[in-house]
Amino acid sequence: MTAALVDQPVEPVSTAGGMLRRLNLVTAIAGGLILGLAGWLISHSLLQDDDLGSDQVVLVTLSCWAAGFMIGIGALNGPIGWALGRDLRHEDELFLAGKDQGVARYFRFTTDHKVVGIQYLVVTMVLFAFGGTLAMLIRTNLISPHSHFLNPQTYNAIVGLHGLIMIIATIIMVTGPFGNFIMPIMIGARDMAFPRLNALSLWLIVAAIPTILSAAVLGGIPTGWVGYAPLADQAPPGMDAYSVFIIIFAVSSAVAGANITTTVLTMRARGMSWNRTPIFVYGTVASVGLAIPAFPLFMASQVLLQVDRTQGGQFFVASGGGSPWLYSNLFWLMGHPEVYVILIPALAALMELTPVFSRRPLFSFNAAVISIAGIVGLSIMVWAHHMYASGWAPDLNGPFMLTTEMISVPTGLLFLVILGTVWRGRIWTTVPMMATYAMLWNFIIGGITGIYLSDVPADYALHGSMFVTAHFHYTLMGAGLTGAIGALAYWFPKMTGRMLNERAGYISFWFVQIGFNVTFLGMFAVGLAGQPRRVVTYAQLFAAGNFVSTIGAYSIGIGMLVLLYAVINSWLHGQVAPANPWGAKTLEWTVPNPIPLENFEVLPVVTSDAYGYGEEDEPASGIDPEREPVLAGASADLGPRPVGASNVEGGP
Amino acid sequence: MSAESIVASPKRRRRDEVRHIAWLWLGLTILLVLFSIWVPARLMGPPASPTMRAVESTMTVFSIAASPVAALVWAIAIYSLFRWKSRGEPTEDGPPFRGNGPVTASWAIVSSVLCVFLLIWGLAEMTSTTSPAEASNPLVVNVTGQQWVWTFSYPDQGDVESDQLYLPLNRPVVFHVSSRDVIHSFWVVQMGIKVDANPGVTTKTSVTPDKLGVFDIRCAELCGLRHADMETSAHVVNPADFAAWITQNGGHT
Repeated sequence: MTAALVDQPVEPVSTAGGMLRRLNLVTAIAGGLILGLAGWLISHSLLQDDDLGSDQVVLVTLSCWAAGFMIGIGALNGPIGWALGRDLRHEDELFLAGKDQGVARYFRFTTDHKVVGIQYLVVTMVLFAFGGTLAMLIRTNLISPHSHFLNPQTYNAIVGLHGLIMIIATIIMVTGPFGNFIMPIMIGARDMAFPRLNALSLWLIVAAIPTILSAAVLGGIPTGWVGYAPLADQAPPGMDAYSVFIIIFAVSSAVAGANITTTVLTMRARGMSWNRTPIFVYGTVASVGLAIPAFPLFMASQVLLQVDRTQGGQFFVASGGGSPWLYSNLFWLMGHPEVYVILIPALAALMELTPVFSRRPLFSFNAAVISIAGIVGLSIMVWAHHMYASGWAPDLNGPFMLTTEMISVPTGLLFLVILGTVWRGRIWTTVPMMATYAMLWNFIIGGITGIYLSDVPADYALHGSMFVTAHFHYTLMGAGLTGAIGALAYWFPKMTGRMLNERAGYISFWFVQIGFNVTFLGMFAVGLAGQPRRVVTYAQLFAAGNFVSTIGAYSIGIGMLVLLYAVINSWLHGQVAPANPWGAKTLEWTVPNPIPLENFEVLPVVTSDAYGYGEEDEPASGIDPEREPVLAGASADLGPRPVGASNVEGGP
Repeated sequence: MSAESIVASPKRRRRDEVRHIAWLWLGLTILLVLFSIWVPARLMGPPASPTMRAVESTMTVFSIAASPVAALVWAIAIYSLFRWKSRGEPTEDGPPFRGNGPVTASWAIVSSVLCVFLLIWGLAEMTSTTSPAEASNPLVVNVTGQQWVWTFSYPDQGDVESDQLYLPLNRPVVFHVSSRDVIHSFWVVQMGIKVDANPGVTTKTSVTPDKLGVFDIRCAELCGLRHADMETSAHVVNPADFAAWITQNGGHT
């Protein structure tokens, strides 16, 4: 016995992780700065006298920054180790997963999906804080027709940055935090299929954020978030920052998409057939699956734009034989699927939580799945409705009107699913459930105004006006962001171990929702009256509507600050949450708080779906039948597995 | 279904609930239809062409068609929020039914029918609003966008050029739209027409102005620093006044 002890290394854990022990966010920033500086010096000295010099220097510098950042965080350690034939030891894997590192693991290349989920949540909130501040500046400028609060150049730069930052934030706001933290537990897995890719996708976004913020000092993005060429060809170097950002983001989303899709396809718990897989899992897969074909097109458009801007290419320059329509087609081939990338997981989160707070089974699970599939299928065939008025292909306007209007049928089914679920339920009006109601209100308005815009002649009148701005805010914010906030309030107890302050949650809810409707109903009015989008000044005719919008926007701002306070305060000092505070039946509520490193000591076996509210045939297993999920029957034949075991088990 | 038997006369209660929701639905539908008739077209202002008139009636008709749909969703939502609300955490579950085939089928059928109606309406409207382009003797106006002004020229009237648009009343006009630099969008607000001005190509749009007056032309595509100032006026005048304006500017009719 004694001899065996002596044979053991004295500190077996101390070398775990190897080089990664010394890498974290600080070394990443240092690496980014060093390589960025080197890139700047080299490209600057080589290209000093070139006319296009500044664009090329910015492109090289920002690319070097991102590469240096990724090296500094340790993203390359795994691939290099494998190339050298080094195998990770078990304790290295544990170190990578963040075992026993406390808060430090949130600042490292950590593979635990729960850490990545929290990191995504913080990144999302930071992006919303930036984008929201810019929105406040925009609305302040528009409080009166000629406020002179911002000059036209600053205004255009802010409009572009606001749009892009918010689009990125909304794309990751559900699949990032909840798709990474909650979804693997929901399907009974111990981690994602590719934990390192998971960390890679997160840190790529972190590396990309400074590049987009650098646009603010590089002359801004004067094109709006769409980056239309040829305006983008004549834009200042801020446009190069835009390109670098999009290219990195496209890689990140492809990596995340492959990872989440594989996880769901191969790692669902034993017995979790497709008709027992929770609807949120469908929403997550639909979203990232749609992103896989969509974002490479955006990336391609930016590669071509950079060839134009830095290599003298003419892809989008008409005088050189190129076509601006090439850009707009590439862009909207991404751009329309992208709105469903945003919307579907948010709506799926609401469909997931509505049964819990109605104490009713999800109404027509099949209709919910069919409608998600229908939206995904149609969404790749509608892009040119953004181009009715572009003159690109007037003869195709009719067919695109058809596909666009067809989307209203599967979307309508989603409403039926939620209404059928609340029907004669026992409605528990928590903050998450209120988000469902807010979505029902907002998304009807967003959807119907979308139908006006799908109509070709009506779109000729409304395209490019504030009506369009109001419409997509009703869908992406009124339905999408509202759904994400509902998801946050719903899963907050599981993610942080504490309850979200309910009172602050309600206060925030009403400030945001009332403010939102005031802002964007006012914007519909000025849009119908003929105010174009993205204008720094406007005619006196639109003064009243814009004033109302600005007041509403301030109310949203106050509400969001209250939410931020509620999140931070509850995270630090909130009431400690029980494992299953809502009495929900999905698997993530069966694991204890705080969640162990690999989630499940014994992998669950699923015997029914998660919506059996009010059904008699609950198996009487577990200590508390009220709180024990129906589908979480632990199976004896698997036996307990040691923490740290391979994470590819659990698939059927 | 044994949970049902606990509730006293559940059938009657259910019938009452449906009746209340139906009344709420009817009331909301009426409100929304009134809103549809009065508000959207009014906000768009008096139309200055048959095209804009068609667009405004589309807005009204689509709003009316959407009213019962929105009203149904909101009626059920509002009713559930007040009548099916539990005080705090629910102590019992709701009824466990997991769907309703006939309801789902009718929902899908009604929304498909509405969708087909929208499409047919839209196609008919497209035909009617593009008719000025097929007129026998339209006035041709070349529209050129450049950062940040519009230029109009009249090729059949001796290439008269102007930075304001002059159009004769009731004569079909075809605009040939192009750009010298970036993408702009040519928008005659009160006539309900818009088409992008692209560099290197010519796009077309057409309209028959049928109201005398001065109307707004704005750029509807962000085109750089002074995008907000890229606006001018469209003057719709009597044919005689138009001829006089052309002659005055060195052209011929």
